Amino acid sequence: MKALLDAELLKMRSTRATALLVLATLVLAVLTVATTVPGVIEENAWISLDDPDLLANVVGNGFGAPLVLMTLLGVLAFTQEFRYGTITSTYLGEPRRTRVLVAKGLSLALASIVITIMTLAVSVACGIALIRSQDGNVTVTGQFWQTVGAGFVVMAAYGVVGVAVGALVPNQIAAVVGVLIWMLAVEQMVIPLFPEVGRWMPFAAASSLMQVGSSYGDTLLSVAMGGLVLLGYTAVTVVLALIVTPKRDVL
Amino acid sequence: MSIELRVLTKVFGDVLAVDDLSAVAQPGEVTALLGPNGAGKTTTLRMLLGLVAPSSGTATFDGKRYDELTDPIRQVGAVLEASGYHPGRTGLDHLRILATASRLPHDAPERVLAETGLAADANRRVGGFSLGMRQRLGIAAAMLGDPKSLVLDEPTNGLDPPGVRWLRGYVRGLADEGRTVLLSSHALSEVELIADHVLVMARGRLLRSSSLAALREEAGVGSMVRTPDPDRLSAALDAAGHTHRHTDEGLAVDATPEQVGELAALHRIVLHGLEGTADLEKAFFRLTQEPHPPVERPLSAEGVLS
Repeated sequence: MKALLDAELLKMRSTRATALLVLATLVLAVLTVATTVPGVIEENAWISLDDPDLLANVVGNGFGAPLVLMTLLGVLAFTQEFRYGTITSTYLGEPRRTRVLVAKGLSLALASIVITIMTLAVSVACGIALIRSQDGNVTVTGQFWQTVGAGFVVMAAYGVVGVAVGALVPNQIAAVVGVLIWMLAVEQMVIPLFPEVGRWMPFAAASSLMQVGSSYGDTLLSVAMGGLVLLGYTAVTVVLALIVTPKRDVL
Repeated sequence: MSIELRVLTKVFGDVLAVDDLSAVAQPGEVTALLGPNGAGKTTTLRMLLGLVAPSSGTATFDGKRYDELTDPIRQVGAVLEASGYHPGRTGLDHLRILATASRLPHDAPERVLAETGLAADANRRVGGFSLGMRQRLGIAAAMLGDPKSLVLDEPTNGLDPPGVRWLRGYVRGLADEGRTVLLSSHALSEVELIADHVLVMARGRLLRSSSLAALREEAGVGSMVRTPDPDRLSAALDAAGHTHRHTDEGLAVDATPEQVGELAALHRIVLHGLEGTADLEKAFFRLTQEPHPPVERPLSAEGVLS
């Protein structure tokens, strides 16, 4: 398994797309942080500059783009291989396909640790600087640490779900476009407009886990329930991928 | 290591891609799976390599399915298509990934790059490779684990004439070292120069399994004639009952050179050239393109009664 994992990590590192995606995401994370701190770009109704949980909220919201990134990197882990036909040599090297699936999931989980640390470094540094520039309240609260911890968990979960989605939808364009429409349009509209349905969606569950529920007017699930829902989505997609992957003919 | 296909069948939806195929490829020989496009060659090779699940039957290496082999990369090398690369990756990185996944020695990628004449291009992105270079990279990948068997799907596709010649020598050398080579091709002219044993396939079925020599003998002989007086020769051949046709190279006759020469002498027709041609190509077409009588199905009990 270690050999397969090393190979998966090498796949990620040996294309420029990965580095470019990570870089673009960090830029987007900075922008999100800037829009969350009241007064920098716009006023935010849901949180004031005096709120002791401001930094936690800013950092939590900074995970928006990185979550999309993790999902896409996960989706690409399989769909790139289907698209370019490298899946053939991958399966020739390891014909037990569930092991390939597990190695890809683990590689995304490992990558998520690195990307989460990068995200936190950028969003905490920018967050503190921007809050100070507005003479706001920079306090490191318990909620801040919960948000940081939840960030690691949620980022890993999104990466793993991405791998499973890529295994289930081998068409790269369909998978990527589908994920983007879901994450950027469907969830972003349904969660605030129809919270009774929206709070069961993955991003709402992730948001409650990361303590940024106040951005949605406190309509989200409890932290524990959010965690369970997210775990549920991860488990269901992974199980489906484990069932489908060994059966699919590679033509 | 011998490769054995036993009553192998694959159905895609309502298409019978491979039908009841049984064949063996022996070590030390180049075995060619020969047939027109759509004959089921690729599906057969993919079933052998565990990429496509057979509907029924088995395909094994020394009795083991591909997914039952320990360290398959060290046992079987495969070249399937020229498109199996990420264009943004260098050739060396491509091979490193495969070597890493299969725990091969660190110098394996450099070794096979040198063997396939790609050492100088190791650090170029594959997207900039020519088709021939990609095909070489595919063979390099197949040789990473120094395997005992080699499976190649249309390996000469996209190769230029020097590349084809190189491949022929390379594959021949591997077989001479005692390895088992199974390759597919739609071009008989290629197979003729490289294979010891030929499996002729069409519409998913195995039509013939024989040595190249036996196939050649069975194909019979023909002649190619050049004459300044094709009309008279043509008339004489017609009269003698030898079928023939005009080609760019001359008159192709379904008769031995002796028969044609004697006929020309008899009619005092000048010949500028006369050579024998074993018409293997024709035998191949005859095998693969003639409609085969439908397999007789046993009547059902109902059918007998009514």
